[in-house]
Amino acid sequence: MSSHPTNFQGSVPDALREAIEGQVPDSKAVVSGGGGHYTIEVVSPAFAGKSMLESQRLVYSAIAHLMKGDAPPVHAVDSLKTRVPAT
Amino acid sequence: MALSESLRNELQSLVTNNRVVLFMKGTRGAPQCGFSAQVVQILDELLPSYETVDVLRSPELRDGIKEFSEWPTIPQLFIDGQFVGGCDIVRSLNASKELHQLLGTSGSVPPTPKVKVSAAAANAFQAAADPSGDQLHLKIDAQFQYDLFFGPSEAGEIEVPTNGPTLWMDPASARRADGLSIDFVTGDGGGFKIENPNEPPKVKQIAAPELKAMLERGEITLFDVRPSSERDIASIAAAHALDAQGQALLFSLDRGAAVAFHCHHGVRSQDAASQLIGEGFRNVYNLKGGIDAWSNLVDPSVPRY
Repeated sequence: MSSHPTNFQGSVPDALREAIEGQVPDSKAVVSGGGGHYTIEVVSPAFAGKSMLESQRLVYSAIAHLMKGDAPPVHAVDSLKTRVPAT
Repeated sequence: MALSESLRNELQSLVTNNRVVLFMKGTRGAPQCGFSAQVVQILDELLPSYETVDVLRSPELRDGIKEFSEWPTIPQLFIDGQFVGGCDIVRSLNASKELHQLLGTSGSVPPTPKVKVSAAAANAFQAAADPSGDQLHLKIDAQFQYDLFFGPSEAGEIEVPTNGPTLWMDPASARRADGLSIDFVTGDGGGFKIENPNEPPKVKQIAAPELKAMLERGEITLFDVRPSSERDIASIAAAHALDAQGQALLFSLDRGAAVAFHCHHGVRSQDAASQLIGEGFRNVYNLKGGIDAWSNLVDPSVPRY
């Protein structure tokens, strides 16, 4: 697995999950990965009626601060899945 | 880093003036990241040509495009001035064929390309034809390498009539073939010769006397890629240094304008010229032999070192 340098202290998956669940209404986020590469799955009713682009934008705007700068904690999101909860 | 007004305008004009623009890491021929490579591969199958911009060219560009599109990752695809998405989204749009609609390509069956075969080539094909009746195929890969061969037809291939023998092509090859011509030349370095207007531009080599003539007619802009330590030893009066000012001049030029690069012997400038093609410039020259050849052939008052 590749790794990318960062000064971030603490658990990146936890930081991602907290940032997403704090910003995307009623969401549950599952985050896995390491070494700068993460896989994210988010379930939220907020995605209903939204395109894939709009849904991903919602998530990315919540975690943008973790992807900025020269040595960000998140180098790449390998896969981002968004869906509405099953009813 | 805030997105400057001038960069925002540059990005806006890029996505407005080009139907399909991919912001990526590396170039179409040499992607520097797996996600960029995946999108290039998808687009290569669907389009003969499109613009790519290498965001590794500068940190301002890499961060600027993220702010411009409000999207935190590279690659980023724009079609008709609209942001389409990153790698995930492009893959899913490709799988659902929505990408074909956005690009205005018909998807699986491309229009039949027009291909010309010269009389000499037609004769050569006839002489080489397989008596078992196999068809003549032409494959063109994403790097525009050609493969002409006889063989049985394959699923999905389309039949391309020419003024010589009928050619069989897979859909991706057919999209790259419109306007192509095949000739046959004999003698040294002879064989089938293919000219294809869809080929991406290549760096052209120019000799010092020809470059001097073009400069005098005001037809070309010359840039010196060497560091100032070397420019202090010897320089060509008409050449612009590639400092901040020179780069601003370069990127203000029309992408079709004639641009030449030189260095000491022509190696570093060849690299720089190749990169410039990756930025969408189509008329790029490299001074053969560098400033050394210039001193030798054009202006002996330029010191050699």
